[in-house]
Amino acid sequence: MVSRHTEKKTPLAWYIAFGLASSMAALLLLSLAYQVWNGVGVWGNNQPVAWGWPIVNFVFWVGIGHAGTLISAILFLFRQKWRTSINRAAEAMTLFAVMCALIFPTFHVGRVWVIYWTLPIPNQMEMWPQFKSPLLWDVFAVSSYFIVSLVFWYVGLIPDLATIRDRSSTWLRRKVTGFFSLGWTGANRHWRNYEKAYLLLAGLATPLVLSVHSVVSFDFAVSVLPGWHTTIFPPYFVAGAIFSGFAMVVTLMVIARKVYGLENVITLDVLEKMNIIILVTGTIVGFAYITEFFMAWYSQVEYEQYAFINRAFGPYAWAYWIMMTCNLISPQLFWFKKLRRSIPVMFALSIVVNIGMWFERFVITITSLHRDFLPSSWGYFEPTLTDVTTFIGSFGLFFTLFLLFLRFVPMVAMAEVKGVMPEADPHYYDEGDGHTAESKVPYIQPAQEDNGRNEAGETRGGK
Amino acid sequence: MADSVRSNSVLGWLADPLASTADAAQRAYRFTADRRSYLAPLAIGVALLLVSLVGFATDASQFYFSYFIGWISCLTIAVGALFFLFFNHLTKASWSVVVRRVNESIVWAFPLLFVLGIPIVFGMHDLYHWTHEELYVVGGPEYDPILAGKRGYLNTPFWIARVVVYFALWTFLSYKLYADSVRSDVEGGEGLPAKLRKTSAWGLPLTAVATAFASYDLLMSTDPHWFSTIFGVYFFIGGILAAVSLMVVLLASFQRISGMLDGVVTTEHYHDLGKYMFGFTVFWAYIAFSQYMLIWYAGIPEETIFYKHRLMHGWEWHSAFLVLFHFIVPFLVLLPRFTKRSLPTLSFMAVWLIGMHWFDIHWIAAPVHDAHHTFHWLDLTLGLGLFLVFAGTIVYRLTRHSLVPEKDPYLGDSLHFENV
Repeated sequence: MVSRHTEKKTPLAWYIAFGLASSMAALLLLSLAYQVWNGVGVWGNNQPVAWGWPIVNFVFWVGIGHAGTLISAILFLFRQKWRTSINRAAEAMTLFAVMCALIFPTFHVGRVWVIYWTLPIPNQMEMWPQFKSPLLWDVFAVSSYFIVSLVFWYVGLIPDLATIRDRSSTWLRRKVTGFFSLGWTGANRHWRNYEKAYLLLAGLATPLVLSVHSVVSFDFAVSVLPGWHTTIFPPYFVAGAIFSGFAMVVTLMVIARKVYGLENVITLDVLEKMNIIILVTGTIVGFAYITEFFMAWYSQVEYEQYAFINRAFGPYAWAYWIMMTCNLISPQLFWFKKLRRSIPVMFALSIVVNIGMWFERFVITITSLHRDFLPSSWGYFEPTLTDVTTFIGSFGLFFTLFLLFLRFVPMVAMAEVKGVMPEADPHYYDEGDGHTAESKVPYIQPAQEDNGRNEAGETRGGK
Repeated sequence: MADSVRSNSVLGWLADPLASTADAAQRAYRFTADRRSYLAPLAIGVALLLVSLVGFATDASQFYFSYFIGWISCLTIAVGALFFLFFNHLTKASWSVVVRRVNESIVWAFPLLFVLGIPIVFGMHDLYHWTHEELYVVGGPEYDPILAGKRGYLNTPFWIARVVVYFALWTFLSYKLYADSVRSDVEGGEGLPAKLRKTSAWGLPLTAVATAFASYDLLMSTDPHWFSTIFGVYFFIGGILAAVSLMVVLLASFQRISGMLDGVVTTEHYHDLGKYMFGFTVFWAYIAFSQYMLIWYAGIPEETIFYKHRLMHGWEWHSAFLVLFHFIVPFLVLLPRFTKRSLPTLSFMAVWLIGMHWFDIHWIAAPVHDAHHTFHWLDLTLGLGLFLVFAGTIVYRLTRHSLVPEKDPYLGDSLHFENV
């Protein structure tokens, strides 16, 4: 069922979507080329607000990426079996979101061609980066995050690529998947090492994912700026990242399961559990908003108090109230089981959440910068067209990569889903001869399915 | 001591709101040790508290601080246990069913802790600088505009009202979770998980808010000029760590001393508890480090002063000790699989981490009282005394009921649980 999507003839809809996404990605390239050629002044950043949309988008995309690692690593450590049907797509989403994120720290600098100076490379100037800067920590955090996510994703893919290899009918396909599956035969010895490696990677990825977004939060929290300098940022940013990332997974999975007919793999129960996590993390984020507000008052520091009054009632009050409505109020609808299990509701809400989370980063970055200690350097930030096209373009890049993934890679971790099927339990066939005690479902020969392209397969694949 | 508790109904409710159901418990799940198991800690604890009264006569201020540190340590353990119970109900965790009754017994500590908290009210003048009236005399020599600005929040009647509300909420929730679970032993556990999950679902966010504000009111306001938004998280993470450790200590001593729960709570369950201890050790360090690093990095005077006091006059050793023995050593010891599965190492680390939790609270509160680092003998007698009374009543509660929720539908899963 899963392999088929990589084997059947590419549907027209995919080409249309891909064309759309890749033209948006082309827009990104154009915007970046324009910006590098003309200078960062083409963006709306100004003197008090020197961090505008690029940083907002960076934090937004890094946040999106976190759900993938959470699903694949943290839920693995907690032995949550429901993660198996979504983890592959979520990890792919992590990778693509991190790629989109990495564009922004690279290109928001004034001179992109000397960005390699941020790396600690011995050089003829005997100059080294400043290790006290959280922006440098970002370089290390996000690049190691990308590498570890990639390795983790690829290790997970090996058995599935071997399945594709074994099913392939053309020479080229067999060679390509055979190359990437590294001669996997599924031997007992392979599996033992594989499971151990997977557990270790999950154990390493978990502190990594928490630290990456904490480091991103340090970019703000280490400063002395009212509205930025607050100690709750590390866990609060992480919670926000999980919140927005899960919302993105829900958005994508709702579409993918429908289009690819995976309703029996990505079940409503799985989606419901994701919505519960959205509810929990949304509430944590909401609680952090209240804490910040309370502490701003409690601190009796006038700048701190003003920063928060300015957020709620200043020139950017609209952004603040969009953020509050989307992040604090809307996820609370998931308290109702009926809404939690309704596909249209969760689809709409997941988009609302991501709008809200984009505005959260906007509010944190821009409202704190545009009015701070000295009233003489108060400003107002307005984005330019290049800001907008860069952001839209980053979505183009994301969807281009995601569509390629859907087309060429098994989007559900087949080996893992098989491992958690009830039939995989050694005690499953204890009762009766091939019949379970309760359901009386007749025993189906697994070999039948393995022959591929049976009739049911053709009809389902034709959707 | 215990007999007098049982004879007095009001005091009896402090220890356990329900009549004993131990006779109905299955043999395998009965508490089989004798009465010394709770009488001994209670007697020693009360004796230590009585001895400490001598200290009260000589140095009342020191007495209040030492008492406060011990009391907050026990309170955070109870709050942490409540969170741990919520998490397990909400995630439908089946592995933890066999250790749940111990968890529930820790949770029913709020009424007792509330009563034990009464001395704090008498010591408020010593503990909380903001209670001093002369700070608010405009134009007076002691006038403090910052504290005057906070007076709408930090004033004694409102403070007491808030603390009462927190305790009411904690007690109500723990009553629901404890009583529903204990009653199910006799009445059957058909709808039990759903019921407990429902309580936890609305209880968790409320408890989180209450606990965060309790941390500001009770602990952070001992240093009323200082503030930190992460403090609520710091407060309850340390509590969960100590609560899980206390569960390990209780279970391990029951099994070692009188073989209770043998074959019920297995290495697999200890392994999972060990993973929680490891996880929360790291989480505590993450929060503690984030708070320290961000304040150190920005160096804003009104915040940095908190750490400055804790990095001079001998307190720097205390701080270094925390880094090393609340994080690095437990991290390294609890990391390998075999140390989590070996009962001696795990229970040693559990005792250690409970001690470290007290040490952590001491680090926060004691520098307010004395800028020069000392350990007063009252720290030990009151800290240990309160903890033994707290732990003794937990054991006493456990003697009165089945040691596992017998009729929980997931008990079978929990008994057969294996780490994969």
